[in-house]
Amino acid sequence: MSIEVKNLHKRFGDFVALDDVTVSLPTGQLTALLGPSGGGKSTLLRIIAGLDSADEGSVTIEGAEATHLPPQKRNVGFVFQHYAVFKHMTVAKNVAFGLEIRKRPKAEIAERVDELLKLVHLSQFAHRLPSQLSGGQRQRMALARALAVEPSVLLLDEPFGALDAKVRKELRDWLRRLHDEVHVTTVFVTHDQEEALEVADEIVVINEGRVEQVGTPDQLYDSPANPFVMGFLGEVTDLGGVALRPHDIEVSVEPGPDTSVSGTVTRLLRVGFEVRVTVTADDGSQVLVVLTRTHARALDLAEGTRVWLAPARGATTIVAGPGRAEPELTRA
Amino acid sequence: MASASAAVGNRSVALTWFLRVLVVGYLVMIVALPTGLVAQNTFKDGLGGLRTALSDPDVVHSLLLTVRVAVMAVAINLVFGVGMSLLLVRYEFPGKRALSALIDLPLAVSPIVVGLALVLVYNPRYGFFGQPLSDRGIDIVFATPGIVMATCFVALPLIVREIVPVLEEMGDDQEQAARSLGANSRQTFLRVTLPGIRWAIVYGVVLSLARSLGEFGAVKIVAGKSIGDKETATLLVQREYQNFHQDVAYSVSFLLVVAAVLCLVVVAILRPSTSHHATPKVKQ
Repeated sequence: MSIEVKNLHKRFGDFVALDDVTVSLPTGQLTALLGPSGGGKSTLLRIIAGLDSADEGSVTIEGAEATHLPPQKRNVGFVFQHYAVFKHMTVAKNVAFGLEIRKRPKAEIAERVDELLKLVHLSQFAHRLPSQLSGGQRQRMALARALAVEPSVLLLDEPFGALDAKVRKELRDWLRRLHDEVHVTTVFVTHDQEEALEVADEIVVINEGRVEQVGTPDQLYDSPANPFVMGFLGEVTDLGGVALRPHDIEVSVEPGPDTSVSGTVTRLLRVGFEVRVTVTADDGSQVLVVLTRTHARALDLAEGTRVWLAPARGATTIVAGPGRAEPELTRA
Repeated sequence: MASASAAVGNRSVALTWFLRVLVVGYLVMIVALPTGLVAQNTFKDGLGGLRTALSDPDVVHSLLLTVRVAVMAVAINLVFGVGMSLLLVRYEFPGKRALSALIDLPLAVSPIVVGLALVLVYNPRYGFFGQPLSDRGIDIVFATPGIVMATCFVALPLIVREIVPVLEEMGDDQEQAARSLGANSRQTFLRVTLPGIRWAIVYGVVLSLARSLGEFGAVKIVAGKSIGDKETATLLVQREYQNFHQDVAYSVSFLLVVAAVLCLVVVAILRPSTSHHATPKVKQ
C-alpha cells in the first residue's frame, strides 16, 4: 500500500472535518476521494500532502512515516483546484521550479521540462506567462509541474472543479490516459460521482468526516454499503419501501405477478433519449421511473395512465432508510 | 482615468466640463500655483539663488544628511514593513487587529507628537531608555539615530499598506505549491512571495522615500536646537526663511520639490506595469 492513513482526526474549531479516518490507498492506482462538499475529503488530501496537520493519527507514504514531515520533504506532487500557478514565471519556469529547487544540472532540467511539456501538450507555450493560458492549459501546466519532481504520489484537489463542463470532460479522459502512461500513484478529490466512476480505479466515499465505503466503481455502484453511498453515486427512488435506481423499475400497463406498486402517471419529462416519469402510487408516495424514449412510446405512456411497477430483475436494491444523501433526488 | 471617463460616459458634456474645471481649478489653487511660485522665486535671479545655496556648506551638509536619513529610514522600514505585512496577512495571532491599527497610528498622529514621544523615551537625562543608553555613550535623541527613528515612524505605514493588499489578493496558494514542490521557507519567500509583491514594494519604497525626504515636525523636535550638524533640509529651509535668507530657503525647497516630483514620476512610470501585472490576477 502506497499511502496508509490511520485513525486520523481533524477539527476546525467546533467543526469535525475528519473523524477517525483509516484508509489505505494502493500503489500505482488512480484513486478518487468522493463525497459532498464539506465532507472532509480535501482536508484528508491536504493532510496527506502535509499542507494541513492532523490533530491525531498517522500518515505513512511509501512505507515512510510522514505524519510530522513538512510538505517539502514528502515528495508528493500537489495540484490545486485554482491551479496555484507562479504568475511571474513562464510556463517552462513553472514546470522547472521543483527541479531548480533540487539543484539539478541545467541541461537535465531543460530536457525534463521539454519532455513534460510534450506530455501535457504545451510545448508551444513554453515561453508564455500563465496569464496567457486558458484554465485547462493552466491546470495541465500545474500537473506537469507536479510531475516534474517525480513524486511518489500525485495528489489532485478538485483538479477540474474550476473548469467548464466540456474542458472538464476532456481533461478527465486525458488524466486517465496520462495515468496509464505514467503510472504514478494518484489520488484525486472530487464531488462529481460521474468523474469518479469514469476515471478512478478505486473510490473512497467520504461523508461527514468518515469513510462510508471503499471499492472499485463497479462494487460501489452494484453493492453500495448504505443508502448514502447509493444515493451519492446516482439517482435513487423509493418503491414500496425499497430504494433502487429509477432505471431499474419495470413499468407495465396491466397488473403482473411481480407487481409491487400500482399508481398513476402524474408527470412526464423528456430529456433527450430518456423519459423521466413520475408515478404517484396509490398510497400517495411518488416514484421516479426512467425509461428510454422508445420504451415509453411502446407503452403509450401519458399523464393519467394507470401503471404497475416492479423492480427489474438483477436491480441493485437496498432497504430504504434514514440518512439518505440526496433526498431531493428521490423526489425528482 | 479610462475607467472613470467610461463610468461618466453618459453624463452631459456640460456637466463633465464643469467638473473638470472645478477639479483642475482646485488643484491649481491648492497645489500647482504655490509650488510653481516656489520655482519662480528660486529662479528669480536665474541660477544665482541655487548657486548661492549650494556653495553654502551648511546647505550641502543638510541635503546629504537628509538623503542619508531617508535612505536609512526606508531601508529599515523595508525590512520591517515586509516582515509585518507577512505577519499580518499570513498568520493568525491574538492582538492582530490591534497591531494592524497600531501600524496606521503614524498616519493619524501629528509628527510633532511623534517627536515629543521619542524625546520622552530616549532623552539622555530623563528618558525611559535614554539614560542607560547615554551611559554607554549612545546618543539617540538630538543625534542622527533619533532623526532616522522619527522618520521611520512617520513613514512606516506607507510600505505596509502597499504590500498587505497585494499579499491578500495573491493568497497562499502559490506558496503552498512551492512547498509541495520541495522549496523551504526561505526559497519560497525569495522565489515566489517576493516576486509576487515586488511592485508593491517598489511603490511603497518610492512613496516612503518621498515622505522621508520631506519630514519636518518629528525631526524638528528630535534634532533639537543644534544648528548645522543635525540639520536636515526641511529644518534648514525653516531656519533660513526665518533669517530672511529667502533665496536659500526657496532654492532648497525647490530641490525638495524636485526630489518629490521625481519620486512621483517614478511611481507614475511604474503604475502601468503594476496594473498590467494585476490584470491577469483578476481574470484568474
